[in-house]
Amino acid sequence: MSGLSPLKSALDSKGKQAAALVVFVGMVCLLAAPYAPWLVAWPSVLTVPMSDWISQGLGAFFETIKPAMRWVSWVLGFGMAAANWLLVSTPWVVVIGVTTAVGWYLGGLKMAALGFLGLLFVLASGYWVESMNTLALVFVSVPLALLLGTAIGILAYEVQRVKKIVEAVLDLMQTIPTFAYLTPLLLLFGFGPVVGLIASAIYAAPPMARNVLLGLERVESDIKEAAVMSGGTRAQQLFLVELPSAMTQIMVGVNQSLMAALSMVIIAAVIGGFNDIGWEVLLTMRKAQFGQSFLAGLVIVVFAIVIDRMSGALAQERRRYSTRVVWWIIVASLVAAVVLDDLLPAADTLSYFGGVADSVDQSVGDFTRVYGSSLDTLKNSAMFYVLLPLRIGLDDAVLPFTWGFQWTAAMSAWVYAIGVVVAALLAWQGRLTLGLCLLVLIGVIETGVTQLPWIFVLVGVGALGWVSSGWRLSVLCVCLLGLIMVSGLWDRALLSLYLSGAAVFTCAVLGGALGLWAAVSTTAWAVIRPVCDMLQTIPLFVFLIPMLMFFQIGEFSAFLAIIAYAIVPMIRYTRHGLVTTPDDMIEAAVSSGATNWQIMREVRAPYAAPTILLGLNQTILYAFAMLVIAALIGTTGLGQSIYIALGRADVGLGITAGAAMAILALVADRLVQGFAEERRNALGL
Amino acid sequence: MARTDGPDAPAIAVDGLWQVFGDGARSALSDLLKPGAATTDGVARRLKEQGLIPAVQDASFSVKEGELFVIMGLSGSGKSTLIRCMSRLVEPTSGSVLMAGEDILAASKRRMIELRREKLGMVFQHFGLFPHMSVIDNVAFPIKMKGVGLKERRARAMEVIELVGLGGREDAYPRELSGGQRQRVGIARSLAVNPDVWFLDEPFSALDPLIRRQLQDEFLNIQATLRKSIVFITHDIGEALKLADRIAIMRDGVIVQIGTPSEIVLNPVDDYVREFSRDIPKGRHMTLEALMEPVNGAPDNGGPELRTAMTLDDALSACALTFEPMAVRDGEGKVVGLLRPEALARAVGEAQST
Repeated sequence: MSGLSPLKSALDSKGKQAAALVVFVGMVCLLAAPYAPWLVAWPSVLTVPMSDWISQGLGAFFETIKPAMRWVSWVLGFGMAAANWLLVSTPWVVVIGVTTAVGWYLGGLKMAALGFLGLLFVLASGYWVESMNTLALVFVSVPLALLLGTAIGILAYEVQRVKKIVEAVLDLMQTIPTFAYLTPLLLLFGFGPVVGLIASAIYAAPPMARNVLLGLERVESDIKEAAVMSGGTRAQQLFLVELPSAMTQIMVGVNQSLMAALSMVIIAAVIGGFNDIGWEVLLTMRKAQFGQSFLAGLVIVVFAIVIDRMSGALAQERRRYSTRVVWWIIVASLVAAVVLDDLLPAADTLSYFGGVADSVDQSVGDFTRVYGSSLDTLKNSAMFYVLLPLRIGLDDAVLPFTWGFQWTAAMSAWVYAIGVVVAALLAWQGRLTLGLCLLVLIGVIETGVTQLPWIFVLVGVGALGWVSSGWRLSVLCVCLLGLIMVSGLWDRALLSLYLSGAAVFTCAVLGGALGLWAAVSTTAWAVIRPVCDMLQTIPLFVFLIPMLMFFQIGEFSAFLAIIAYAIVPMIRYTRHGLVTTPDDMIEAAVSSGATNWQIMREVRAPYAAPTILLGLNQTILYAFAMLVIAALIGTTGLGQSIYIALGRADVGLGITAGAAMAILALVADRLVQGFAEERRNALGL
Repeated sequence: MARTDGPDAPAIAVDGLWQVFGDGARSALSDLLKPGAATTDGVARRLKEQGLIPAVQDASFSVKEGELFVIMGLSGSGKSTLIRCMSRLVEPTSGSVLMAGEDILAASKRRMIELRREKLGMVFQHFGLFPHMSVIDNVAFPIKMKGVGLKERRARAMEVIELVGLGGREDAYPRELSGGQRQRVGIARSLAVNPDVWFLDEPFSALDPLIRRQLQDEFLNIQATLRKSIVFITHDIGEALKLADRIAIMRDGVIVQIGTPSEIVLNPVDDYVREFSRDIPKGRHMTLEALMEPVNGAPDNGGPELRTAMTLDDALSACALTFEPMAVRDGEGKVVGLLRPEALARAVGEAQST
């Protein structure tokens, strides 16, 4: 085999070997595709009706536990009705008063003003009753989530053996899309708001569990040992010393839990049957009353901001404000409610912003009339020149209708030939890996993500896994993807992969650039930071509204919504990584005579690489989460399957599609984490 | 200030250097420093009253060509800030730092980069190595900044790597090296551009005592061949006495004394400085020059050969059997003083009893 030795010496690194293998498999697929169609499309004979099996199996199981669940549902419904009654029948003056008082206690004048003005806006918007309905759901589900989360957190902390399992389950729960929770619950509990309640309690528990565990683990060993030496029992140590010491971290959990619950409650509105604010958004969106839906969305955002900032203040150790003022505010509001009972209008009769909604409708209408053609041009060029080729490949996307000419086989040959020449040039310069990756990229664009041969995808992902952390990850990724293929959801998974991939790529480039800019200029960061804070507070659902307003239903709107939501972590982590390079390294570089740009390129960027990769990882997870929500405004792929399953109460499809989504997220997560870990090790961190 | 290019011009001349931290430090200081204003102490007090922190107060000294100048002080005495002012890693509030006649505090940003690429080298307490670069890439980094090609800069980097005794480890990464080896990389990197002025900020403080001594000795060897103008920061009086040609002692941002090691040990200006040299065996650091009675051309009585630069310990062992006063010669062999054995015995005894 002497002929192989130059090959071996050329492929002297893992990356080169993996890239070469992928190129080789791609070439084989390309050449053999006309003769062996099974190489490209997984033979349908080999798919297994997993969805049906799950439906049948779970159906039987659900039938047996249904009575018990219906009873739980009845109990919870009772609690919810009580919370609902309390919030809706309490005069709005008192609700606003109490919120203001709590705001004062937590953060003084500023927070009190936020609470007061926020709720005043809600009142004036005319969505008071709907908002209180939503709030009632949150009020019942969050205590459940907090209890559940705390219990899980303590359990994982106390029993080391359980910890690993709990952490794995929490990881998994984070990757399962929100809609996927709903279908099985729907079957168990029947239509109605209780499903939303339970879904949000389940969805909001993991952040609490995580933070309780983290907080307990971070309690200083001195403190723990002092508790032991004071002669406390284990329970005393835990409840009197360790939990109170961990309180700040636990409050971070409460904050995250509240936000998760609010987000889920609003998403759960798609089930319907409850007059809450999420339903209002959905309804107006369907009726294309964008002004109204914008207003309702704004109410949600205001709610989210008030809840987030107030519970965020809980997690900050700082002085609390006088309780005397708190009582004064509450008493004053009670007095106002009693004395002015007849004078104050009922909440549901108020609606000051109807005109605003109309004028928003009007101006959006005007805007789209005037600029409609430019918006369309923008949308169409993005679709025709970027998204469509990526989706179905240059060979199918380039038509006289879109590009002005017909793609031919000769053009493909030319593209490949140019690719080979460039790759050879790169290899000659010693950048073989880059050249091979370029070839892979050209192949993907020419063929289109959704028409990639399954063997090529599996080999590609396997190779990535191998480079990122080794054989075990490689095998795991291939097996998990194989599962999707066998279940018959492969085509949809590729559709999801294509759209989220395009969005993640855009986020990486755009977010990376913004992060770099924010790292260089404090002025830029002063502008970007509040925007990021804002985007992270807005519930997923609301992102759809502006996209719908300007670009109507379709893939492009979904694409934009995903980018708007998923770009934030990329910006934050990039900046954070770049600005936190240790001072002694910067000083060493400065005294070596490096210019600012040289420091950025040679020192800051390599040092920040693991952090930036973690940001990319978050961006990917965010993109998948949004992808499912975006199914509401017209994406194809797994998100749509999950949505359809919800509509038909098809628990089998719901679970398999949800699992497929989770698998994609999990695989992407592990791959990027692997690369980040490898970089961290390379830096000796 | 006028340029003072001449054969005897100091390599570095620091004059009236202030570093004040806090908002509005610059204007507050320039108000207080108007001609005819208060003393250094008075100015510092006024600054503190305004909530500002005077980390370095009116530092003035000069370093000769090829001299090893040590700045010594406890932590928080301002010595690290002072060296950062001199290398302009922080921007001093007032004063001037002349290197080869050029005030580097007035240098433009561009000129500063140029200076760092050509004339200045710096070693850091915690090494400041780049974790993502191998030893050779770390060492070659300053040369790379100049835009020198790969081959040339690697060749130069190898030279300094050999110089610090790390030959063979050039492809290792910082995480694979011991503390002592890491600082050798730091030293090699600072020497890569063959600087005229060499700053070392507590380079051996983070190392174990044994390694520290070894590196100190090697450092002296390197300096013996390279003859750089050095500013060396330490908090260890033993290290200062061992290495320095001259020492500046700092306290609370003020230089309280500048002198040769034996001046510092023999004639401390105040209790603070005395406190430092308290546990130092005087016999090992004090030289005969400080003890002898100066004479001019006194007779040579043929006793053991004594030189002005000899330490007391060495002299003691050289004339253990003599009771006569003996001639002490200067560096050229001319007799310049007489040493009485009883004075020697008393001095060594005193040193041991304190």
